[in-house]
This record gives sequence, structure tokens and C-alpha cells, in this order.
Amino acid sequence: MKILRNISFGQYIPRESLIHNLDPRIKILSCLAIIISLFLITEFLGYLILGTIIMIGIIISQVHPKFVFRGLRPILFIIIFTLIIHLFMTEGEILYRLGFLKITKEGLIRGLFISCRLFILILTTSLLTLSTSPISLTDGIERLLSFFKFIGMPAHEIAMMMTIALRFIPTLLEETEKIMKAQISRGADFESGNIFNRTKNLIPILIPLFVSAFRRADELAIAMEAKCYRGGEGRTHFRQLKIRMVDILTFVLIGVITVMASVMF
Amino acid sequence: MFICLENVNFTYNLHMPFETKALKDISLNINEGEFIGLIGHTGCGKTTLIQHFNGLLEPTSGKVYVEGLDINERGVNLRLIRQKVGLVFQYPENQLFEETIFQEVAFGPKKLSLSEDKIEKRVREALKMVDLDYNLYAERSPFSLSGGEMRRVALASILSIRPKMLVLDEPTANLDPQGRNKILSEMKAIHDNFGITVILVSHNMEIIAEIVDRLLVMHRGEIILDGPPREIFEKYADDLIKVGLGLPQVTRCMHELRAKGKEIYTGVLTVEDAEKEILDRVRKSNKQLKIKKG
Ligand SMILES: Nc1ncnc2c1ncn2[C@@H]1O[C@H](COP(=O)(O)OP(=O)(O)OP(=O)(O)O)[C@@H](O)[C@H]1O
Ligand SMILES: [Mg+2]
Repeated sequence: MKILRNISFGQYIPRESLIHNLDPRIKILSCLAIIISLFLITEFLGYLILGTIIMIGIIISQVHPKFVFRGLRPILFIIIFTLIIHLFMTEGEILYRLGFLKITKEGLIRGLFISCRLFILILTTSLLTLSTSPISLTDGIERLLSFFKFIGMPAHEIAMMMTIALRFIPTLLEETEKIMKAQISRGADFESGNIFNRTKNLIPILIPLFVSAFRRADELAIAMEAKCYRGGEGRTHFRQLKIRMVDILTFVLIGVITVMASVMF
Repeated sequence: MFICLENVNFTYNLHMPFETKALKDISLNINEGEFIGLIGHTGCGKTTLIQHFNGLLEPTSGKVYVEGLDINERGVNLRLIRQKVGLVFQYPENQLFEETIFQEVAFGPKKLSLSEDKIEKRVREALKMVDLDYNLYAERSPFSLSGGEMRRVALASILSIRPKMLVLDEPTANLDPQGRNKILSEMKAIHDNFGITVILVSHNMEIIAEIVDRLLVMHRGEIILDGPPREIFEKYADDLIKVGLGLPQVTRCMHELRAKGKEIYTGVLTVEDAEKEILDRVRKSNKQLKIKKG
């Protein structure tokens, strides 16, 4: 049961901070800029600069670092895995020999470098989702995507699908937990047995879950029609997005730093 | 003592921003063969509490004993505990998944690795307990049933494990009065005929006050009242009203009479009791009048 509780990646934490109040478009674009430069930079010093920006961002956002770093937990395994792969699989100057395995200097540097990249990548996206409510996030994405409307990008539909998906992730998790508990009470066992049995044991969870998901989808569709929903054409927004001076300044600042970091390192 | 809770506290999302303290220092003893009603306002922690009875939730602090065994100790076989304490969640019809009702009810017994004959015997028995005809229903799909029937199938699928105790979370939610009374009378029969300990969870006083022997009243994560319903209605009516639960209509009627200055016993649960009580009083006072006149 514990597993389901630990999914915190992407959880919004409401606060009144500069970062929270930034325009979501600016936040998304800034994150994109940082991520792109993450892949362009080839030296540690560049990562130091980006890491510092993110740290400053976390401090300004007033979100407790605990929550930011909790988002890292699920991918810690991936980071360690890549580190190990790089340690042993890169050719070069040998630092240490362990049987037929060898650790090379190049491997160590490369591994640490990639780990830093993943680390900053997750921190950046965590900061984005922790400081932006799902609604304004999809709002921002919709607006950004609508630049591409002229090539036929269904911006509103994509955003609506994302909103609904985001909205229902916690509901479905809750539902799953409820069904699991009910089936456990009926004698089901999800913890022992081999892979084959365990997969078979999922049936009592999956069927009720699908039944309820379809029912929910049906109900939602009816509710949307009852409210006269008919797509994005001509639809106005309750919350108007406005670019303010702070937003421009933030974007320029992040833009300049990332471009410089990418060029110099 | 069948189940014993000692100073149980439970907090959802411990150490997280949305921490909710759902149970506060609950101590409770439940004996074999009791018929208990657990009642409380929505969100007071009823569902949270009953999930401690079979180890689905582990208390943040405190101990839970089932038949003297601390169930949250390491190495305890929780599956055995869950055979003894059958938990039926709210809207149990949402957990059905098999192709036929027979398979649905046989799910639990199959997990106990019983023989085919025994499984069939248990399915027959369980369906009988919830008053569904084996021959008519066994081969039907559970998804082709009405809501009330589905709920009874779900109930049967717990009964087929032969639990010693049955805990039902809002068993009558969303049912019409007829379906409601049917489920309740079946629960009563299961308790009376098979000696199974039953706990009914509800937020509606009208429904359970009449049939249970002991009432547990919860409020904001605490058990504030514990005793026979008559006693609670007689002595603690004000507390019940204060926590927003209210009294059954007849009981309220008696309290109103009492408030108007009539000497009357207020711990009644049914209309019949109330009628008897009122007639008794009227006769008595008539007698007194005659004596005075005489
Ligand atoms: N999975 C959960 N995560 C966080 N908080 C929860 C969770 N489940 C319940 N709570 C909270 O714990 C408290 C008790 O909830 P619980 O479900 O036990 O109430 P209840 O008495 O069963 O209510 P109802 O009559 O509505 O079923 C509530 O305040 C609820 O918001
Ligand atoms: Mg409940």
C-alpha cells in the first residue's frame, strides 16, 4: 500500500512567492531554456551555474527543499544505474581494477557528468510542477502551443486532454488503493508468488478499475455536454494570463545566463 | 476479547504538507458475538478506524490486538487475520470482476486452497445467507444485476471466507428503503444464527439504532460515546445533537414530550416502544387522577 502514497513527483505546493506568481508561459519557457542548455553544456562549470540558478529558484519559491528532493527519490535508481554503467563501460586511463571490471578516469568523469545532468533536469521540472498549479500549467501549455495553430496543432484539445489526465491521476490512484484494499479483504494476495501469478493477481484490480474509469469518462462527457462544452473555438478564459515586468525580467535573465553558459562551456 | 485497540493514533500523509490526524487516542474492546453500530459524522474517521481491524492500515502509534495477537508485529500472517475479520467496504459492488456470480463468491475460498466440493458448499451457503437463490443466480454475470443485488453478491463473497467478524462500511448507502431493510435484516440474521460479530458503520442514526446492541459514537477522530443505544439516547441526547448526529425521530419525539414537562422514559428506539411507553404513562396518570378524585 505504501507504494501508491510515495508518488509525489508533480505535486503542486501552493505558496505566495515570486516563482509561484510568474506567468506559467515564462516558467515553461525558462525551464525549456535550462533543459536545452543542459544538453549543450560540456563542462562541469556550466552545470554549477545552472545548479545555482535552480537552487536560488527553490529558495525564492519557499517550497521546502524536502519536497523538491523527494521528487528525486524515484529516479535515484536511474541516476545510480547510469553512473555505474559509465564507470565500467568507458575506455580510458584505468584507475582501479576489479576482476575483469575496470574503472576508468574518463568513465568516472562521464558518469558524474551525466548524473549531474539528470539531477538538474529533475530539479528543474520538479520546481516547475511544485510551483505551478496543474491548471495554470496546462493554461500555459495551451497558449504556447497555440503559436503552432496555423500548422493545424489542436492546442486546446491537447491542453484539455492534459488537464483531464492530470485531474484524474490522483483519483485513479485513490480508486486503485480502495480496490486493492477491498480485494485484500476478500483474500487476494498481491505480495507473494512468482511473476506469472502476480500478473494474474492484478486482474481483480484492473477490471474494477477499468469499469470505474469508463463510467467516470462517460459521466464526465455527459457533464461537459450539459455545460455546453463545444471545444476551444471562441472560448474565453476566467483567468487571463498577463505578462508583467517581472516575467520579462526573469525570462531575459534566465535567457542570457543559459545562452552564455551554453556558449562558454 | 476479540479485538482490542490500545491508544491508537493515525495520521494520513504523516510529515507531509497535507497531514490529517484521522484517529486520536482510540482505545476500544470488542467481544465475540457483539452487534455494534459505529456512527459518526462524515469525515470523522470511521472508515479509517475499521481498516485497523484487519491490518490494512497500521496505526501511527498504539496497538491493535486480534484474539490477543498484536497484528502489526513483524511476522504476523495478516492473511489469517483477514480471514477472521471480514471487511466490506463502501459500495462493495465496485469490486466485482468475475464472469459469473459463482466465481465471484468462490474467489475467497479458492485463495484458501479448498477442494472443489467445499468451495461449492461455501458458495451455496454464502448466497443463501444473503438470500440469493443459487440455482437462479450462480451462472449469471455479476454485472447484469441491480445495485442492491450486486451489493449482496459482494457481501456473499466475504461471507464465503467464513469470517468470525463482519465489518460493513455504510452497507445501506444508495439503496432504497426496501433494499436497505433487506440488507439490515440479513445482517441481523447472520449475527443471530451464526454468532458472527457484526459491526455496522453508518452516519445515519435511524438505520442502525434499532438493531444494534451497542453503539459507538465517533466525533473528529475520537470515540465520544460507547454503550447500549437506549442508554445513550436517554442520557446523552444533548451530546449527540451537539455533534450533529441527531436522534431517531421517535426518540426525538419522546425528548420533546419530556421537555414539555411529561414524566417519560426517553430511551426508546421504535415506534412500538414509544406507543407502549406513552400508553403506560397515560394509564398511570389516569389512575392517579382517579385516586385523587376518589
Ligand atoms: N487516503 C487519505 N488520505 C488523506 N486523508 C484521508 C484519506 N482518507 C481519509 N482521509 C481523511 O481522514 C479523515 C477521516 O476519513 P474517513 O474516511 O475515515 O471518514 P469517515 O468517517 O469514513 O467518513 P464518511 O462517513 O464520509 O465515509 C477525513 O478528514 C479525511 O479527509
Ligand atoms: Mg467512510
